Amino acid sequence: MRRYRRGGIVRRAGGTLALDDVGLVLAAGEAVALLGPNGAGKTTLLRLLAGVDRPDAGEVRWTLAPAGAPAGGEDGGTRSRVGWVPQRPAVYGRLTVRENLRLFAGLEGCADAAGEAERLLARADLASWADRPAAELSTGTLQRLNLAVALAGGPAALLLDEPSATLSPDQRIRLWEWLGSLRAEEGLALVFSTQSVDEAARHADRVLVIARGRRAFEGRLEDLARARGGDAGPEAAERAFLALVEGSA
Amino acid sequence: MRAALALFAKDLRILRRSPLVALVLVGYPLVVSLLVAAALQSGERTPALAVVNLDAPGRTVQVGERRLSVDDYLARLDEEVDLRRLDADEAGRALDDGRVAAVLTIPEGFISDLQSGVRQPLLRLVTSARSPLEGEAISRRLQAAVFRFNQGLATGYVRQVLRLVDFISNGGSIGIFGRQGEVVGLRNSRVLIAETQDELRRSGRADLAARLDPLLVFIDETQANLDLARPAATAIASPIRLEVAEGAEGREPLSAFGVAGALLVSLALVGGLLGAAGIASEREEDTLTRLRRGLVALPLLVVEKIVVAALACTVIGGVLLAAVAVLTDLAVGRWALWPPALALAGLAFAAVGVLIGAAARDTRTALLATLMISLPLIFVGLVPDDAAAAVASLVPFGPAFRIFRDLLAEPRLDAALAGDMVALALMAALATTAAAVLLRRRGA
Repeated sequence: MRRYRRGGIVRRAGGTLALDDVGLVLAAGEAVALLGPNGAGKTTLLRLLAGVDRPDAGEVRWTLAPAGAPAGGEDGGTRSRVGWVPQRPAVYGRLTVRENLRLFAGLEGCADAAGEAERLLARADLASWADRPAAELSTGTLQRLNLAVALAGGPAALLLDEPSATLSPDQRIRLWEWLGSLRAEEGLALVFSTQSVDEAARHADRVLVIARGRRAFEGRLEDLARARGGDAGPEAAERAFLALVEGSA
Repeated sequence: MRAALALFAKDLRILRRSPLVALVLVGYPLVVSLLVAAALQSGERTPALAVVNLDAPGRTVQVGERRLSVDDYLARLDEEVDLRRLDADEAGRALDDGRVAAVLTIPEGFISDLQSGVRQPLLRLVTSARSPLEGEAISRRLQAAVFRFNQGLATGYVRQVLRLVDFISNGGSIGIFGRQGEVVGLRNSRVLIAETQDELRRSGRADLAARLDPLLVFIDETQANLDLARPAATAIASPIRLEVAEGAEGREPLSAFGVAGALLVSLALVGGLLGAAGIASEREEDTLTRLRRGLVALPLLVVEKIVVAALACTVIGGVLLAAVAVLTDLAVGRWALWPPALALAGLAFAAVGVLIGAAARDTRTALLATLMISLPLIFVGLVPDDAAAAVASLVPFGPAFRIFRDLLAEPRLDAALAGDMVALALMAALATTAAAVLLRRRGA
């Protein structure tokens, strides 16, 4: 069992506080949902965690440690251990699926980028699209490529920004099945943002509710519902989430 | 560096797979070069030559059986240059005003000198520093014309000399002042002397016969020397000498200005647009979010985009120059100086493009902004005005244009040219740094 952790960070956007002292502890194989309304700071937090943006205060620090051990153990850095799946597929449309995977595997530092690309083609079930330009892929296939690119270099955790937002229901089911298998088989930890309480309830072990750039709640959805006087069902959790968000507004 | 090289290869691959971009990149300079070639073939490019004939007009020179006229050869020259027969003062003014690129003076006594063969006749050509390229073209054409004239004269001279040699050796009929006579010739003279000696010896006057021996020796030696006259006469080469002088300095040649302008427009737009599109497309495709995570250092990413665009500029500039060299008779200067000049200009223009692209949200905005910023600055760079030149000197457009123009007009590496190259390098470095800082602050 491993644990990933980062400290409190602050990010300002145009003079406005976008994220203030939000921290996260993540165990290996665990799925954490960042839940919050539009503009709450979910994407900002994910981008800071992924290393896309730099915090204005604090630092992003990933720590690899056995479960239960105090933070501050073996330092794994961010790049090789965290995969980044932006909401919009971030691949080169004029490159083929294989070329995209090969390029990003090389950029991630894989010694055998071609071999890693073939492994990812198989892992993401993209072999039949391998020589097609990414721009010609369907939305669901493109999102699989987006995710496969994030897996280049063998990360221990994936950061996903609303990964199912643009997918159809069947594509959404396939995506979560695949992510579930990655968690189960490779111990991949997930942090994903979503606006759907239902999706968080289905696929996350616990949630981090962010409202107005601040941590509003961290724990299991059932606990959030119970804390607000409801039962453990999804409807009660949604009502509790809305009450929490509106209350902090 | 490995990451930057991978992205460099990726960008080249994407460029190759973008037919529209490739069409613009290849077609645009081709169109520009064709326009330049067409402009250079226009009437303005036909070099004007003033001819000042100080000798008696219409005179001809008889060389052997041929009667040669200077006018015949000038008429031939008229097919290639715009000949204007002027007097000396008018020709001087025309040269000063730039109406003619050179003045050819036929001095007084030219035909007499040619006829006498005592003094080498001299044609004098003064070319204009205002139009050095046209002047050079006229100089080349005149040298060719004088060479042809010399060839005609030399052939006539040689034939005349050989006829004379033959006449002295073998004798024959000759007409002087309307009266015909016979010339014995050396060979017949020898026979006559030998026969006379035989008769004298037979008549017992051997001493008198012996006194004729020196005549035979003289005839033999003369004949031997005349035998050498044929190759010597054939070797006669250039009866006329052409002296070329350069006039006072003046404004730049229009042709160099035009080609330099074409290069400036071409490279500024290709470098700027490609640089801007290169970095903006990374943002538009969201791949910048991945790259910013440390997959490649942002300054290296900026440099990579600039190098791709500068490489395209260098290739396109080279194609344009090659087209000018092939399609026109313009000399494009020293080829060794062009690659660094094109590369530096390409780097500077590309760096400006990347800077604009780093500030833009998407590719279309980046391209539009690059056009809106570049076009007025290109115009400022081309305007021959001190204030405009001062403004243009602050951006790559001014130094780049001066470098192109100087390399076309006076292809030598002097302090001014080196200074402009250093200025371009500094501007490229400044824009690169600014683009890297902006990219880091601007976010993905």
